[in-house]
Amino acid sequence: MITHHPDDNLLTEYSSGSLANALGVIVCAHLQTCPHCRKRVELLNKLGAAILTQSVAEVVQPQTLEQLMMRIRSQPAAAAASDKPSNSHELHPTYARDPLLKHVPKVIAKLLPRDGTLKWERVSGSLKTARLKTGQNQYEVAFQCISSGGKVVEHDHRGVEVTMVLCGSFSDEDGVYNQGDFLVRNPGEVHRPTATQNQDCLCISVVAAPVKVTGIFGKLVNPFLSFRPA
Amino acid sequence: MPEKLLRLSRCGGDPATIHRRRMANKSINWMIQLRRMMSISQIGPDKHQRDDTWSRLLEQVGQARDEQAFAKLFAHFAPLIKGFCLGNLNSNFPADAAEEVVQEVMFKVWQKAPSYDATKAAASTWVYTVMRNCRIDLMRRNKRTPTDKDGIDIDDIWDEADDDQAFVYLQQSSNEALIDRSFTQLPPEQRQVLTQVYMQGKTHQQISDETGLPLGTVKSRVRIGLKKMQTLIVGAEKAAEKNRESWQ
Repeated sequence: MITHHPDDNLLTEYSSGSLANALGVIVCAHLQTCPHCRKRVELLNKLGAAILTQSVAEVVQPQTLEQLMMRIRSQPAAAAASDKPSNSHELHPTYARDPLLKHVPKVIAKLLPRDGTLKWERVSGSLKTARLKTGQNQYEVAFQCISSGGKVVEHDHRGVEVTMVLCGSFSDEDGVYNQGDFLVRNPGEVHRPTATQNQDCLCISVVAAPVKVTGIFGKLVNPFLSFRPA
Repeated sequence: MPEKLLRLSRCGGDPATIHRRRMANKSINWMIQLRRMMSISQIGPDKHQRDDTWSRLLEQVGQARDEQAFAKLFAHFAPLIKGFCLGNLNSNFPADAAEEVVQEVMFKVWQKAPSYDATKAAASTWVYTVMRNCRIDLMRRNKRTPTDKDGIDIDDIWDEADDDQAFVYLQQSSNEALIDRSFTQLPPEQRQVLTQVYMQGKTHQQISDETGLPLGTVKSRVRIGLKKMQTLIVGAEKAAEKNRESWQ
């Protein structure tokens, strides 16, 4: 039972397409598991449609349609059909065998390296992380895996941290979070997550990246500045 | 007196009573007919059939690759898309760029039309989401660094439907006409901030930075606006439900 949801502001930013990719990914992952929020976004999309249809109609140049039809006709039929090659988003056998990864939402599955080489790094006895690429440099997106009953060192957040539980559950001072739950933590909110006893807990987290040193020097130094919350 | 009435009803009665009886019969007939009409009109929503022109045309484009239907959709949506892009002093899109966006969006509409499912969305909502994704793609493509090639597709992130798990569409959320109307009933400042969020595709923070309004104000206007719309929609739906029940 999902009890923690993204708020209306975040869902509106998603529906209007203004969220950064990394935040879009985690909101999308929640939507793909939460019919309640999906319905909310469906309504927000209809609001977008209302704003579109209430826009002041602007004259479109007469040749635009003609150009477009030429472009459409020059598309080979086969290319149009193979427009969705990514439809076969079958999980790599390595992930399909992994009890933590085999049921991740569609959008998360797309982030997994295709060759099955997800690299885990151990942070502490009970926590390991694996970074994910989303093609942007504003946020750090990573899996956080807390072993069953494991405690994560108490930490603060330098930037906003958004977490979603993908498998298992964990708790902190404020409550228990189960599969599908979605949490936003702001800087200054200290917490110490603990996984439940019976099962490892897999989360995805999106964290506003720490201040970046740019340039070649930055490339060398940034890995050491990286910030890895739970 | 009762005797007189009895006699009258037995033998047809005086002209005034006969007339009254006829009128009563007429109105019963009329009610039966109306009820029949109501039950017919209810078949539509139950089967999730859409009867708006645009959704039907879009289905034709998707299923029959009908170019004429597409031209009609273009004539309707292209000027709106252009207006939407240029609306609200959006500095992101100069007029010639808007023309390009129109072409790009309508190209995607053609390409994706086969996946359009009228039972899940009205054409306007579907076109809106295609346009939104297209805009995100265009805006981010400009900003992308060379290392971003391995990033995830925009269409994968802005795709909340999970066809694999096939959630049953038990009940459609409120219809577009109601949402349309409730939006126009919002106080101007709420309508304005929602329009900014959607038309300019800006985060609450960006709007706050640009307008000088505190972030909390932007957020609460969005929230209160949505809540108010919800109240208006629920009220209208309840009224419609009551109306329907009174005939059953």
